[in-house]
Amino acid sequence: MLVRFWGTRGSLPVAATASIVQDKVAHALLAASGRSFADIEEARSFARNELDFATSGTFGGATTCVEIEAGDPANGDPYIICDMGSGLRGFGLDAMRRCGQGHARVYHFFMSHLHWDHIMGFPFFVPAFDPNAHIIIHAGHEDAEEALRRQQEEISFPVKFDWLRAKIEFRTLKVGETYQIGAVQVELMEQHHSHSSFGYRFTDAEGKVVVFSTDSEHKMDRMEGEADVEQFFGNADLVICDTMYSLADSVSMKEDWGHSSNIVAIDLCHGGRAKRLALFHHEPVYSDADIARMHAESVRYEELTREHDPLEVLCAYDGLEVSL
Amino acid sequence: MQWSSTEQQGCVVASPDGRVDEATAEAFTEHLAASVTMAADSPGKKLIVDFAGLDYMSSRGLRALTLAKRQADAAGVAMALARPNEVMREILAISRYDKLFAVTDSIEAAI
Ligand SMILES: [Zn+2]
Ligand SMILES: [Zn+2]
Repeated sequence: MLVRFWGTRGSLPVAATASIVQDKVAHALLAASGRSFADIEEARSFARNELDFATSGTFGGATTCVEIEAGDPANGDPYIICDMGSGLRGFGLDAMRRCGQGHARVYHFFMSHLHWDHIMGFPFFVPAFDPNAHIIIHAGHEDAEEALRRQQEEISFPVKFDWLRAKIEFRTLKVGETYQIGAVQVELMEQHHSHSSFGYRFTDAEGKVVVFSTDSEHKMDRMEGEADVEQFFGNADLVICDTMYSLADSVSMKEDWGHSSNIVAIDLCHGGRAKRLALFHHEPVYSDADIARMHAESVRYEELTREHDPLEVLCAYDGLEVSL
Repeated sequence: MQWSSTEQQGCVVASPDGRVDEATAEAFTEHLAASVTMAADSPGKKLIVDFAGLDYMSSRGLRALTLAKRQADAAGVAMALARPNEVMREILAISRYDKLFAVTDSIEAAI
């Protein structure tokens, strides 16, 4: 199983400005001072291996979209995609390329919920214009179709939903059921969020498990319910978790904004004995350095509170691939 | 979880012992609530949670502190955290709880 992150930002897409890029270049020059490079390859290798990620790279600014590659895509297994944030545009272009090489033109979407940052990529999803494509949109919500049609009404977008050429279907999934879809088994869990949200647990034929749990607030006055969440995360190879705020923010100023923290995500993964956690749905006002600091602190917290096997804490970025 | 409370210069000093995790969070929450009630009746109207005997605390314990702070605010009780060990100091910083609570090196400084 392979997990590809196409969009990892929460709430609003962001992009680096000129001054941010200049700052990265300045830091790189400082780090390289006194050195010379024979060619661009040597310089690239320095950037890749010796600079910290916040200097040489970026966590990216596209909103949530995660692809799960399971089964055998070369032999007809379909695409599996969680959410349609602005990162979906990049996935759509890459999927068209792969379809050109023989990949099945079948797309199974799983929607955490229907907030704008999680659906805004769909009007730019090129495969929706492919008459040979079959798109199945799975959601815990019954109003998924309404949300997607509404954002393509003329007041918001020039291309109407009905003008899309692909065969598009909507299916509502129920909590407590297990579904076999494509090369995975899927279960879902309802989460606390405005208009509700759903987490998904995907299991492939080899028993590898990925959990996608974004836009989920773990309320202080309902901590006893967290045993269910830990069970849902249970022994997962990777848990992708909303870690938008610090714990202090999530219980004070930003209480009831519907999001979780790195600290609670680590505790839940520890409780469920998950193997890996990907920090996700990054706060749009955070710089790359802020996210890198949050990642380092999360790794440290995991170490300080670990009682069993280590939990590997990754920080999701646009372009990250994790093979399980 | 061991828990003792004393009164010093009109303030309630509550001293939990051990660690606050999933297994002990409920007892910690209940002891905290009782300590806030006690502090509301004390002349100083202050609750100092003495962290000296605490090994560490997960998010359950931290959130129990927030629930206690709400109860304390409503009862006009001030709350402070005293003498965290190095691990707890780091956890308070990582969770940004050091911005929600006054954290002191000694009981005296919290009084
Ligand atoms: Zn969101
Ligand atoms: Zn949302």
